Amino acid sequence: MSVISSLVPARFLTLTAHLVIVITIFWSRENNVKACLPLQFTEEEYNKEDIKLVIALSVTLGLFFIELAGFFSGVSMFNSSQGLLSLAAHCSASICLSFYVFQKWECWTYWFIFAFCSVLPALVELVLFIAVFGLKKKPL
Amino acid sequence: MAFFEVYSHPALIRYKTSVCTKATLFAIAVLCLTYIPPLLVAYRSQGFWLKRSTYEEQPVIRFQYQMLLVTATSSRGDYVAWSTYPHLNNLLGSNLRIPMVSAREEDQNQDGKLDLLNLQLELPVSSEEQVYSIQLLLTFSYQLFRMSTVVMQTLAFVQHSSPVPGSQLFVSGDLCLEQRVPLPHRGLHTTYNVSVIDGNSPFASSYDLVNIIGEYQKRNLTTVFSCPSPVWTVGRAAEAPFKISAVVRYPVEVISYRPGFWEMIKLAWIQYVSVLLIFLWVFRRIQDFVYQNQVLPTVPVLPFKQHTA
Repeated sequence: MSVISSLVPARFLTLTAHLVIVITIFWSRENNVKACLPLQFTEEEYNKEDIKLVIALSVTLGLFFIELAGFFSGVSMFNSSQGLLSLAAHCSASICLSFYVFQKWECWTYWFIFAFCSVLPALVELVLFIAVFGLKKKPL
Repeated sequence: MAFFEVYSHPALIRYKTSVCTKATLFAIAVLCLTYIPPLLVAYRSQGFWLKRSTYEEQPVIRFQYQMLLVTATSSRGDYVAWSTYPHLNNLLGSNLRIPMVSAREEDQNQDGKLDLLNLQLELPVSSEEQVYSIQLLLTFSYQLFRMSTVVMQTLAFVQHSSPVPGSQLFVSGDLCLEQRVPLPHRGLHTTYNVSVIDGNSPFASSYDLVNIIGEYQKRNLTTVFSCPSPVWTVGRAAEAPFKISAVVRYPVEVISYRPGFWEMIKLAWIQYVSVLLIFLWVFRRIQDFVYQNQVLPTVPVLPFKQHTA
């Protein structure tokens, strides 16, 4: 019980940290978009890259919704494996994204962070959703 | 009776699991995350592979007692010249003017390597002639030993001209090495160990300063005589010779070179391991937490026998 009682708040905190950074990037994405454009760029090129990044960030928010829903509804709150995965993924995402903002990484690097740190735990969450509501398994 | 700790030792607890379990997956993930990220951190923070490095060495330089002097003696284009090459002196004809030269090389700190060259040159000039410009070319043999052995012939070129006729030129500066590409870390390099001026050639083109300097500047390794403030003294007494005094110093050079394999590996290894230690510590703590608290189900094997009730 003591393990779960420490995993749950830790998972919540890292999820929140990741969420806060993603929302912050919505405002400060200009530098990252410029980082992946050549020195001379047109308005059109800028908008194209900018929209790509906005889409990625919006999808991230959607995946957050899935994961938070699973977390708060109790589907995965006491599942230690999902807790561990989610903890690791969002913790590394928070660290990577803070570097992403401070060091002005190119905008395409966001897709890697997105794939490993948002899609992966959200997919596992979906599997758990199906297991609990579809297959009527008892949530751990 | 007070108790005190007389001895302590850690007990090893083994956690066992089968191949297709979450614990195995976790162990593989931890292994990858421990050993790969330090490499990325060390590489991305620049300077992981040392591509270029520098060392200091005072070169062994000897003045070769070969020189070429061209002096403009009027504003209309008359000149006199002199060199240590007999073929050129024959070609010069009536423009040949023989100066008095004294040269002395000194080793000031007694380390066996010469530190400077003192050159005094007195060019006799008639009272009708005025000295407007000086072009002086000196040749040196230049050797480096510490990393790669370099043996080459180099030049120092002094050029000064003035609208006002002068009586004396004083130059004092360093004979600096110019490198276009870094040297290798070992080996012998004698590509440039050929005379900069071909003294055996009977043709005037071999002694043309444009050709000499043009060929010389194509080289990767050259020396340049760096003299930021030449002193041109005006007001010459009639019949007095024109004097050139030059002090050429041989300074300690900072030479850049490409490090060898082991030097590169050594520095990369130092960087990798120092970052790896932090990751090892962090992941050890995480694994301790995961296995001790049975976050992922494993079978612990305790080091001592369980007492059965």
